[in-house]
Amino acid sequence: MNGSPVTAWEGTEAYFTFADRPFLIVVALVLTAIVTVGVIVHSAKHETKAFRRFP
Amino acid sequence: MDPETQAAVDELRKLITMSGTINMEIFYWWCTAIMVMIHAGFLAYEMGASRVKNALASGVKNILAFAFIVPTFFLFGWWIYLAFPGGFTIDEAGVAGLPWSANMGPNLTDNASGVFWAAFTMFAATTASILSGSLIERIRLSAFIILAVLLGSVIWILAAAWGWHPAGWLHTKLGLHDVAAAGCVHVIAGFFALGVIINLGPRIGRFAPDGTPMEIPGHSAPMTMIGLMMIIVGFFGFLGGCIIYVTGDQWINIYGQPATLSAFAFNTLMSFAGGIIGCFLMTRDPFWMMSGALAGIISAASGLDVYHPALAFLIGFAGGCIIPKVQDMLIKLKIDDAVGAFAVHGAAGAWSLVAAGIFASGYPSAAGPDSSLYGQLVSLAVFASLGFIPGFVVSYVLKLFGLLRITPGAEIAGLDLVEIPLKPYPEGLTPSTNGNGHAAPQGVPAE
Repeated sequence: MNGSPVTAWEGTEAYFTFADRPFLIVVALVLTAIVTVGVIVHSAKHETKAFRRFP
Repeated sequence: MDPETQAAVDELRKLITMSGTINMEIFYWWCTAIMVMIHAGFLAYEMGASRVKNALASGVKNILAFAFIVPTFFLFGWWIYLAFPGGFTIDEAGVAGLPWSANMGPNLTDNASGVFWAAFTMFAATTASILSGSLIERIRLSAFIILAVLLGSVIWILAAAWGWHPAGWLHTKLGLHDVAAAGCVHVIAGFFALGVIINLGPRIGRFAPDGTPMEIPGHSAPMTMIGLMMIIVGFFGFLGGCIIYVTGDQWINIYGQPATLSAFAFNTLMSFAGGIIGCFLMTRDPFWMMSGALAGIISAASGLDVYHPALAFLIGFAGGCIIPKVQDMLIKLKIDDAVGAFAVHGAAGAWSLVAAGIFASGYPSAAGPDSSLYGQLVSLAVFASLGFIPGFVVSYVLKLFGLLRITPGAEIAGLDLVEIPLKPYPEGLTPSTNGNGHAAPQGVPAE
């Protein structure tokens, strides 16, 4: 997958992967948010299960 | 000037500017690296302050605070800082902090956003670590992460936008002078922690049925002391991150007033020493002496750029004398702040703002009125409320849904046994505690 938004370095500003494809940036951001929130929810469920053995 | 000389001057000017830009990047890069030491210190401090049955769980909590602050501060924390200096109205400058902005990633025309974002992220993680210690041994990990993200990626940075930003309304309207973030970091974190621990309640066994306080010593006092010293090392990165590098000109503080790193050096060390001596006088307790070092620096933080070093020493000394008394007051109220986070950060931060009002009034600012006691006191009230109310309300909601505190069975068994697939110490080297987690009686020495 070609992630580079530039073909030369002269006059380059933002050069991060997919800088020229905003949709993919949004996908990466949404996935980051899902992972962050999802792991907190998963952790809460895991704790509840673990605490059943220690009421 | 002939064209050839002009071209040479232009080239030289370009070189100086680029050199300054790179030096600025390097300076904040290393400040950020040194600030990581704060988290290493908090890690050791909290694990040492925990009983052996909770040692690793306390460490995990601290590690995860760091881990969850970073992405959330990227997603919305930096935007909050840039967008809300005026209060609750959104400033156009916030666009640069949106996570899809061209500034929020590798960009050859922006050497500043990444290093400033990183430094502020470390500040955010510091606020979450301050909260972490006060809650050890009885909070659910998931509840802690939610509260840490709220504090580190929302509340403290909103407070920073208001009071630790060149256009922050507490500075432009009230003349707030708080160069090293005593208000937005320490008062916010201390009062947030207080709001949470009121709902969380004390650890089982912290108070006898008749209300008598019972000491619950951590399993490694040396580890807590080393951790506190590591936090102090990290503070030098933290304080370095509080001053702005300007290419070709004098340093400025966060409000744009001229300052020097030398001023920070004088007053950091003098207040550090004053804090230790104050706590030594009041307690003779090494745990509190090292906490006093932190409290001393925090006490002088608001006026770190302008105090005479002897005054910084005295302000730090007063902070060191105050904090053990604040902790005693909380204990009388049956509030279990396991590491004295409210005393060290909330109370010393409050004293810092007040002290700057008493001793450093009248300093001019291009962006607002002169510093004054009135401005400092109103700002303190704003910071204390902004910290306490969200901490109290959100932890109350979590408590209502049974999501705040671990079960009594898990608390008695210890969180390491319940949640952690690892033992902190090899067989036979476990620090000695009896069944209820209090220190085991000492053996009678041979006669």
